[in-house]
Amino acid sequence: MKTRSITIYVNGEAYSLNVAVNRTLLQVLREDLGMPDTKYGCGTGECGACTVLIDGKKSILACLSLAATMDGAKITTVAGLEQEGKLHPVQEAFVNEGAIQCGYCTPGMVMKSVSILAKNPHPTEEEIRRELEGNICRCTGYVKIVQAIQKAGDAMASTC
Amino acid sequence: MSSRILPEFDLLVPQSIPEAVEMLTKYQDKAAVMAGGTDLLVLMKSGLKVPYIVSLSEVPGLDYVIYDPNDGLRIGAMATLAQVADNADIKKNYAALWESAAVNGTPQTRNRATVVGNILRASPAGDCCAAALALGGKVVLQGAAGKREVDIDHFWVAYRTTARQAFEFAVEYRIPANVGKSAFKRMTRADQDLSKLNAAVCLNMSGNVCQGARLAIGCVAPTTVRMKKAEEILKGKEITDSVLKEVEEAVKGEVTPIDDVRSSAWYRKEVSGILMKRTIQKACA
Repeated sequence: MKTRSITIYVNGEAYSLNVAVNRTLLQVLREDLGMPDTKYGCGTGECGACTVLIDGKKSILACLSLAATMDGAKITTVAGLEQEGKLHPVQEAFVNEGAIQCGYCTPGMVMKSVSILAKNPHPTEEEIRRELEGNICRCTGYVKIVQAIQKAGDAMASTC
Repeated sequence: MSSRILPEFDLLVPQSIPEAVEMLTKYQDKAAVMAGGTDLLVLMKSGLKVPYIVSLSEVPGLDYVIYDPNDGLRIGAMATLAQVADNADIKKNYAALWESAAVNGTPQTRNRATVVGNILRASPAGDCCAAALALGGKVVLQGAAGKREVDIDHFWVAYRTTARQAFEFAVEYRIPANVGKSAFKRMTRADQDLSKLNAAVCLNMSGNVCQGARLAIGCVAPTTVRMKKAEEILKGKEITDSVLKEVEEAVKGEVTPIDDVRSSAWYRKEVSGILMKRTIQKACA
């Protein structure tokens, strides 16, 4: 087949489209669905700017996913983290800790951070740094990103 | 070619193993099998032309990781590196494979990439390849005529060429039980890079005496290879510093690396023996 009809769920909403089979999830999100919050960085799986979540917790790369094979997938992008005008604790922490400079890595970084905390609510600095592999930041030196994740973890734990 | 887009191809999404086999029987060399896609799609963005992609994404029952203390380990074609890295039985009993999966790439690629895919890619730098060659086991291939098994020792026949025929695909990698103590080590610039050198060992120990060893090393030949001379040195001996020194020298003499973007032939040769020695020490620790 050269095109396929799929239904994907992005940030809780269903989208049914007919996609060319050679389109990546990243292209479909940004161009077909008009959601540019997920970024294109390298296209080859190294920078992590295109990181999205499956089932709210599993981080994957949209640039290396064929949209046509994602029928039924439940995808979260960074714009979907906010709930009724309130920022997600990870977003809040990134802002408060000054973990954002140019902002280009931020969507992917935030999504990776959410997946880290979903698996490990109280990660050590070493655990965070290891799990941040695959998300490259050229500006911050990662220090404030690590702090933001730790702060977000604490905030999320205290509201459980 | 921009890494933003993929070239055109025809996508096939079989809903069962027999359907996948039917498609491969029909298209053979014109088809590439896709599991996680983290390798194939990157190759295609760099210009690889593939008329047909047979995606295993909707074939049920291929994502298993089954460990039995008597039967050993069976890893399905769609089982991801993340599944292996999260598995305590593998960490305990097949440490080399566990580590090769846990350090490979990034968390995002590990959520998609597969052990079987790494083996089928047949890169001499493949981290899971080194672990697999040390641990032994077989690749299970499925074709129209049924299943056949190929020993891992005979699976990589030449640079990026496997024993798989165009009309079949790998459904499983299996390792027997009680393979012994194993370990994996790699040398790379940053963790998510390809290895410039990697090694894996599996030691069959009787107390302090090594009854047999499988020593695998990558990035030094067209495929991952075993250091047979070094394995002979270990056989029936206690693993002492002087035995390890002999192994180190033997490995250094046996490897035939080349210069490439990641490292030089000289450097690889120089450190190969030491890396193997340290991998053996890690297995014994």
